[in-house]
Amino acid sequence: MPVLECKGLSKSYGSKRALDGIDLRVESGRIVGLLGPNGSGKTTLIKLANGLLTPTQGRILINGLEPGVETKRAVSYLPERTCLPDWMSARDLMGFYGDFYADFDKRAAEDMLSRLGVDLRARMKSLSKGSREKVQLIMVMARRARLYLLDEPIGGVDPAARDYILNTIISNYNPEASVIISTHLISDVEKVLDDVIFINQGKIILAAPADELREQQGKSVDEIFREVFRC
Amino acid sequence: MLGKLIKHELRATAHTMLPVLGIMLLVSALANLGARLMNGREVPAVVTVLFTLVVILFVTGLFAIGLVTVLLMVQRFRGNLLRDEGYIMHTLPVSVHAHIWSKVIVSTLWYALTGVTVVLSVMLAAMDIDFIRSLGKMLGEFAKLMSKDIKNVEILTELLALLVLGGLTASLSFDAALSIGHSFANRKMLLSVCVFVGMIILSQLTTVGLFNLFDWIGVNVELDAYNITGFMGTWRFACGVTALLMTFYGAICYGVTAFFMKRRLNLE
Repeated sequence: MPVLECKGLSKSYGSKRALDGIDLRVESGRIVGLLGPNGSGKTTLIKLANGLLTPTQGRILINGLEPGVETKRAVSYLPERTCLPDWMSARDLMGFYGDFYADFDKRAAEDMLSRLGVDLRARMKSLSKGSREKVQLIMVMARRARLYLLDEPIGGVDPAARDYILNTIISNYNPEASVIISTHLISDVEKVLDDVIFINQGKIILAAPADELREQQGKSVDEIFREVFRC
Repeated sequence: MLGKLIKHELRATAHTMLPVLGIMLLVSALANLGARLMNGREVPAVVTVLFTLVVILFVTGLFAIGLVTVLLMVQRFRGNLLRDEGYIMHTLPVSVHAHIWSKVIVSTLWYALTGVTVVLSVMLAAMDIDFIRSLGKMLGEFAKLMSKDIKNVEILTELLALLVLGGLTASLSFDAALSIGHSFANRKMLLSVCVFVGMIILSQLTTVGLFNLFDWIGVNVELDAYNITGFMGTWRFACGVTALLMTFYGAICYGVTAFFMKRRLNLE
């Protein structure tokens, strides 16, 4: 059974169609790049998978189930923006995640936080924006989830931070799970991807294993992306 | 999961509410202290000015604290479920119903604690030996009144139950207005306020319309109830009708909030 499956999935905001009849299957154990320019529908797809939006048409299934309480137990989601409560400390956050997610690995979180040098008692508002982003990523990756949905995890961060984020993802995700990374910064993530999905104007225009694509076209995924999305 | 949500909600709200209530009690104690210091004594002008400020703060606080609590609860619901933090909250393995109940229960608890704080503040500001003596006497008389007739206990219980129901309904109406207002793309808070005003007008019109309808068909609800059942019956009738109307209004608000959070969630 695919971890994520879309069947004729569409989403409209008023008259604007953000997703247009998407069919998609993501199998277990894959790292998938959801690649597309800004406004292509990446975030909408991820929000639909999280149950933050409801489809206008079609279906989206996580482990064969429509998004709901059950699927939320299996999905670990990194939103596009940092949204940790300001008044909470890293220790509070671990308590919070541990309370709600049975698969939250507190020891792994503590380990990652100590490597990052975050004081467990420091409140989020006292941390820099970059540190808050990393703490949020740590909370997400410390779960032993079935599906990780990471929305623009490396958007707007410096190259060193990008390396840290990608290393954190690669060294902490549950190997039996799938990871979907939405981004338009292809060159940075290309090396870790098993599969790529190109999305534009709400439609999937290409979905293939990254190695196969590189072999067929004799180019990197980044070069193919630039060709496909040339303005 | 509801228990866990309530636990975290209490922690998050206590973070802002405890200082607010604590400051109110502190100002009351200062007002009391100032009154004792100045009682028939010559004090420097600066002390008089400070005391006047404390009294102004105390009186303003008494009137404003209820509004502050409501605003803080509204802000909490909005910030936690309808803005950025909503990305975390709505992806927890928890139903929308549990989210609504946790917010409503905790808000009602803080409304009740605010009421208790207001009473305590007044008592604290007025407290002296005579007051403590008369308080003991008043409590004794109250206990006597309650034990004299079981009906008095019933009236008090029903009144408290109505207050709790009122707190729950008020919370639900704020949440419904916010959920509707925040489903729009822009001017979310302004639209929430407009929706809330619209809801109040509509509920008032409906209530007045219902009573007019009874009048029109020849039933004078209050008078008939009194003539048939006497004071206790009328009290029960009034409580029952009020509770029924509040429950009905609260249920509609609950349904609206759940629908908009499930189907029309529009996080920024």
